[in-house]
Amino acid sequence: MTRVLPVVLVIALVAALPLLGDNYLLRLGTMGAMYAVMALSWNVIGGFAGYPSFATAAFFGLGAYTGAILQGAGVYMPLAWVAACLAAALFAGLLGLAILHLKGHYFAIASLVVAEVLLEITTSWTSLTGGGMGLNLPILRISVDAQARLFFWAMLALASLTLAMNWIVANHRLGFGLRCIRQNEDASGMVGINTTLYKVIAFILSAVFVGGAGALYASWVFYIEPPDVFATLTSVKPIVMALLGGAGTVLGPVIGAVLFLVMEELVWRNLLEIHAAALGILIVILIFFLPGGVLGLFKRRRKPAAPSRPLASAEAGR
Amino acid sequence: MLYAQILINGLVLGGLYACIAVGFSLVWGVLNVINILHGTFVVLGSYIAYFCYVHLGIHPFLSIIVSGGILFVLGFLVQAGLINRVMGAPVLTTLVLTFGLELLLNNGILLAFSADYRTVQLANPLGSTIIGGLVFPLERVVATALALGLTVLLYVMLAKSRIGRAIVAVRMDAEAAALMGVNVKRIYAVTFGVGALMAGAAGSLLAIVFPISPLNSTEFLGIAFVVCVLGGLGSVAGAMVGGLALGVIESFGALFIGPEHGLTIAFTLLILLLIFRPTGIMGRRGYE
Amino acid sequence: MKKQNTTTRPLWGGAAGRLTALALLAGAAGLTQSAAAQETMKVGAPLPLTGALSPEGLKQQRGYDLWAKTVNEAGGITVGNKTYNVEIVYVDYESQTPRAVQSAERLITEDGVSFLFSPFGSGAAKAASSVSERYQIPTVAPTASSPSVYDQGYQYLFGTFTPNSTLTTPLADIVANSGEEIKTVAIYARNDLFPLAIAQEMEASAKAQGLEVISFDEYAIGTMDHGSAFTLMRQSQPDWVFATGYINDLILIRKQMADLGITPKVLTMIAGPAYKEFIEASGPLAENVSSAAWWHPAVSYEGEDIFGATTDYVAAFEAEYGSTPDYAEASASAAGAILQVAIEKAGTIEPQAVRDALAGLDIVTFYGPVRFSETGQINSLEPPVFQIQDGTAKVVFPEDVKQADMRYGDIN
Repeated sequence: MTRVLPVVLVIALVAALPLLGDNYLLRLGTMGAMYAVMALSWNVIGGFAGYPSFATAAFFGLGAYTGAILQGAGVYMPLAWVAACLAAALFAGLLGLAILHLKGHYFAIASLVVAEVLLEITTSWTSLTGGGMGLNLPILRISVDAQARLFFWAMLALASLTLAMNWIVANHRLGFGLRCIRQNEDASGMVGINTTLYKVIAFILSAVFVGGAGALYASWVFYIEPPDVFATLTSVKPIVMALLGGAGTVLGPVIGAVLFLVMEELVWRNLLEIHAAALGILIVILIFFLPGGVLGLFKRRRKPAAPSRPLASAEAGR
Repeated sequence: MLYAQILINGLVLGGLYACIAVGFSLVWGVLNVINILHGTFVVLGSYIAYFCYVHLGIHPFLSIIVSGGILFVLGFLVQAGLINRVMGAPVLTTLVLTFGLELLLNNGILLAFSADYRTVQLANPLGSTIIGGLVFPLERVVATALALGLTVLLYVMLAKSRIGRAIVAVRMDAEAAALMGVNVKRIYAVTFGVGALMAGAAGSLLAIVFPISPLNSTEFLGIAFVVCVLGGLGSVAGAMVGGLALGVIESFGALFIGPEHGLTIAFTLLILLLIFRPTGIMGRRGYE
Repeated sequence: MKKQNTTTRPLWGGAAGRLTALALLAGAAGLTQSAAAQETMKVGAPLPLTGALSPEGLKQQRGYDLWAKTVNEAGGITVGNKTYNVEIVYVDYESQTPRAVQSAERLITEDGVSFLFSPFGSGAAKAASSVSERYQIPTVAPTASSPSVYDQGYQYLFGTFTPNSTLTTPLADIVANSGEEIKTVAIYARNDLFPLAIAQEMEASAKAQGLEVISFDEYAIGTMDHGSAFTLMRQSQPDWVFATGYINDLILIRKQMADLGITPKVLTMIAGPAYKEFIEASGPLAENVSSAAWWHPAVSYEGEDIFGATTDYVAAFEAEYGSTPDYAEASASAAGAILQVAIEKAGTIEPQAVRDALAGLDIVTFYGPVRFSETGQINSLEPPVFQIQDGTAKVVFPEDVKQADMRYGDIN
């Protein structure tokens, strides 16, 4: 509990951000919370279980469209958000059953392509989704400041939930099982861990809050279109964040998300046309000089092995 | 007649797809690295062909030598200098690393050449010929023939040459190959270089078919993915069959279901194959 | 969670960023240090400088830069006893609509811009308009044509493109009444906001003229092969082919049509032929391709704006960039020129007053006559129809600026 208290305090402090009364700062805060949701969610399947999932964009886009379509049909906004969570979870469950038997690169590609397929379907299904024309959401009739606060707090609450979920998983039998799977999946099966069940649960957990974040996001920006919510970068960024902070830890992805946001904002503000290159350089540096993430710098002594090492290249392709 | 024409379109397209994918497949198979840079390598090849034609008057069919050579050196250096350092690391590491390099390189190309679309306009285009009511767009046919020829050449090189056999040996078992005196890191670099060479050559050939822009790189990468999974990973013959199959499937898919679904069909097929037959339509092939 | 970091760092970075941007901008545009009495008026411009739309973003940037340079060289904008130099604050939104919205908010709240130019295209302009409306910042959209952008009841949004139907109606009228045997139309559209919308308008316009629309096909964004669609089209032999997309799609489509021997009597493409890049990239294949756009360098108006006559604008643009402006570049410049006239009429840069001045505008500019409808979309333009003949785009409609007669056939 001594470790939980400071975290709760920090969240409470962050929640007081609107007191500063700067809407752009709130927008950044909302974005940061959204990044934290995505990085923490990815952490369950990618960090704990060591499965290189690129499905975040699929869950995010699915959530965004579920939320947007329901809200367009007159469903009360928070209910639409919940429904988006459920839709993403259900989708992840079914998808997980289908592709979680794949290993390494094959799993990575299958999860990556899912977002592409959803993107194409969303684009073609004009009658439901508006297709390439995009989809408008009903505009909230409350003040600018109230909107900024509402979405900031909602996203922060979602991030806190995701953090709590990570903490529970890490300290639960599920987390133990997932780490076993990461170390050696075959052996885990032999010691009585139901690997398929564990993996599917982890995959669902990596989807449910991302779906909610997608729906929240759609309500927040009023207008969504397929290439934006299904962007490949949406799948890649959470991975970079988690690696940045320390994959497979509970606080690492949050730290990574915040650091990433700060760097992204600084780069974006200060360089007009080369932020993609700057992000690329950041990634390369990260891989070479910070393999265990920021937390890895502190923990290296206690845990010598970097996360997910056993999924080494030689085995993964077979 | 309609079906015959669609089949021709598909095959002509598929040969180019095969050429895009074969280098990617080789790198994946031998190094177990998914090279996200591959699409941008192809684009770079197209730019080299463009500049060769505009400034030096070298026909894209010939500039495959130039673009292939330049890309080989670039690929060799990238692998020797960067990727070799993390070869033992988890799948995610090399994937994310090449992704970072791709952002860097693509942004560089964008700044250097801008995103404006360029085309190679041949002074003496071959045009199309009609044989028995069927249209053969000759540039595409020749480009496809060259693409397939290069692929066959690569196949022969792997089977016959000394370095080719070393690559195959590393692919089968890197540790054993090392024990036999093969410099594995160097073979990795050569293989990555050859992968980039094929990308560059494909880029040259594509320069006369598609408008050139750094923005095309994701499309090329997507094609490489699908072809690889279709044909089975890491085998040259697989990439050839996979490429032709994708071209034909896409063409008939566009005919029967509508042109807006061409990509959807390809990607859906990819997922289904991954789920039910991860070894590709050719089955487990080659050296595994 | 070290989230407090976010609360301070971006602000600090913001100040540094603005300084850098300012320095860069001043250096790039070659601005001289202005007299101390002059103030600076900032206009925000979120642009897609990287990503899929970057060719379009660069066009808009050229248009804006030319306006800012022209204004500042003329001594700035004078209202009352104050003189303002124009500074355009650019943000690259990476061709991602959410980033565009974020950029708009950042420009307003952080960079303190007084006015905004919308991001590219109808979708992004619409998304960003909700931000500028909330903060009551007058916004000019230079590249949004869809009426659905403007019918949201917003007060602060003004657009310089007339609705899509103003392009397709004259096209259909010319072709249907050409005296040629043109009865059937095949439409081939990119499944994307603008290309699909204009294709649907074309279908309506063609039907209204009694033409038979024999096919309406869509292709996905990123399609690399159009072989099947054109093989089918080769069988149906349409008299008129109408293809929509962006410049890369249309270059590829034109090439594949030639490869497969599709030779309609009329080939119309939107949007691409208006750009010199299309003509350069397609070479002889560009011959006799017809199109329509909101502006063309051949139109001729005596403008009351800073650029004056259309010919003067074209000359200024050519002097600056060494090429002829197209409608996208001109529309960006026009957005600035129109904003400037409104500010001068309002006699202040106070947002409400400038908005009212914009809404009440009735002037002639180098770009054409400018009046905005109730919704804020311009309704006074007569978009020209043109055809590429002998390597240049020649206006064939409207009559008073006509440069050539429309040619039929000869599409190989």
